[in-house]
Amino acid sequence: MQFGVFSVGDVTEDPTTGVTLSEGERIKAMVAIALKAEEVGLDVFAQGEHHNPPFVPSSPTTQLGFIAAQTSKIILSTSTTLITTNDPVKIAEDYAMLQHLADGRVDLMMGRGNTGPVYPWFGQDIRNGIALAVENYALLRRLWREDVVDWEGKFRTPLQGFTATPRPLDDVPPFVWHGSIRSPEIAEQAAYYGDGFFHNNIFWPITHTKQMIELYRRRFEHYGHGAADQAIVGLGGQVFMRKNSQDAVREFRPYFDNAPVYGHGPSLEDFTRETPLTVGSPQEVIERTLSFREHFGDYQRQLFLIDHAGLPLKTVLEQLDILGEEVVPVLRKEFAALKPAHVPDAPTHASLKVAAERARALETIEEPAVVAEPTAEEPTR
Amino acid sequence: MNERVIAVVTAGLTTPSSSRLLADQLSAAVADELSGRGITSRTETIEVRDHAHDLTNNLLTGFPSAELREVLETVESADALIVVSPTFSASYSGLFKMFFDVLDDQALAGKPVLLGATGGTERHSLVLDFALRPLFAYLKALPVPTGVYAASTDWGPNAAGLRPRITQAASELVAALHHETPTKADPFTNPTPFADLLNS
Ligand SMILES: Cc1cc2nc3c(=O)[nH]c(=O)nc-3n(C[C@H](O)[C@H](O)[C@H](O)COP(=O)(O)O)c2cc1C
Repeated sequence: MQFGVFSVGDVTEDPTTGVTLSEGERIKAMVAIALKAEEVGLDVFAQGEHHNPPFVPSSPTTQLGFIAAQTSKIILSTSTTLITTNDPVKIAEDYAMLQHLADGRVDLMMGRGNTGPVYPWFGQDIRNGIALAVENYALLRRLWREDVVDWEGKFRTPLQGFTATPRPLDDVPPFVWHGSIRSPEIAEQAAYYGDGFFHNNIFWPITHTKQMIELYRRRFEHYGHGAADQAIVGLGGQVFMRKNSQDAVREFRPYFDNAPVYGHGPSLEDFTRETPLTVGSPQEVIERTLSFREHFGDYQRQLFLIDHAGLPLKTVLEQLDILGEEVVPVLRKEFAALKPAHVPDAPTHASLKVAAERARALETIEEPAVVAEPTAEEPTR
Repeated sequence: MNERVIAVVTAGLTTPSSSRLLADQLSAAVADELSGRGITSRTETIEVRDHAHDLTNNLLTGFPSAELREVLETVESADALIVVSPTFSASYSGLFKMFFDVLDDQALAGKPVLLGATGGTERHSLVLDFALRPLFAYLKALPVPTGVYAASTDWGPNAAGLRPRITQAASELVAALHHETPTKADPFTNPTPFADLLNS
């Protein structure tokens, strides 16, 4: 099981001090968080992509490349990559480039983006959100898997004899998660390709998350990628911890009350009950996180949101220390003990490389087969 | 025939509320009309005021609290709906509208609805047809032709004057009940196959 943090990259005033970081300070703070995540033994750092204030990370591969240069173990990921408004050609190139620089420590989470005005800025229409996600991703897959691509679709200029450079590291495309909140179509897409499905459940009640994950698992099995409980599931979480539960609540409340998204709405207590938000002791976070498994089955990736709503960097780094020292080691042990042997871990570059080599070896023994996309009629692994 | 469930959504603010009074009279008339036809029924009355905070929170967070979710599901699964809003500034009240803003926009499709409103002045009775009716038309509900508006004066010696309208509206709602409600496609039970998404 992989544990990590994901950052939205918002620049928000600290409601307790009135301090607002500059964009530069926030960007450097995100880097510091990523480096600290590796230092405390987390597996994944993921960051958002946004093209409007108050968010800073418009250019994720620039930032992830910079982080890659200063780390050696942590997987660099996104939360999310805008598959709707980015040109799939540029995504194919940017992330293949990052793969080479980071020695394969790269995967991506696709998302549609929920900011209406962003679509027209990039020449698109939000009403085509699902159609864009479907078409762009289908092209992206081909660009990574076929050296020369002829392509024609609805949303982008046709391609003739096009080669995306560089080719993916070891000819192994980065693993892809599909991040979703409410669209069953995206669960269907992830299931069809046998990709990962990340439900960004941090603002959502369990009943809804359960429905989405069950759909993904059922369809994953339907498309022949394995049993439903072997599907690759990721979940969000939002935590704030202090040794004493009351201290955590007291310190976090002003950030909660003024936070973007849910501020000035439900009480901290209501929101904690309804969503995965956990504010309390490390032990409470451990128990809450373990309870996700009971609702959603064995899963492969747990990402925590810990750095939004104006929380100062110093506090966030303390949260990472607590995660690394007290929470994640216990969760690793507990989850591993509970996980049946037939449930796979999340794919990594190394595991995908081995699988690809094995597939190639099989091909040379049997007749040479064309490596093709699964068709709707006969799904393949 | 199976028991019919009538959901009643009333958005009065005061206690006692004249909107609730009207809602109770309407639902009693509907129950009478049903039992007259040998149909048993159950009434689920929802005071929107009780969920005012949850409605605001739902608008801000994008999801309903567990309690509000149950209420929304009650409305969605009911066979028919009775709604009563107080008239505020010549329209339905903001709280009343919030309830229907939060409800899924397909939740009322094909559902018979009896429209009711209360007001300080009888001169605003067209609020039924100029404000409520378009809202329920948008929601693809089936509002019955007769709506019932009660002004302050209708609660005094004139109260008997409302009776025929209430009975008329109730019998229209019950008549509309015989329509089969269109079954809603559940995207979780029957997702659009990916091949269709790819080719659309
Ligand atoms: C802010 C506000 C605006 C109102 N505007 C109107 C109006 O435009 N027309 C009207 O007839 N009554 C108006 N009223 C009176 C209410 O419609 C009336 O008191 C209603 O029947 C109260 O319902 P309740 O007892 O169920 O709360 C208004 C009341 C308030 C508080």
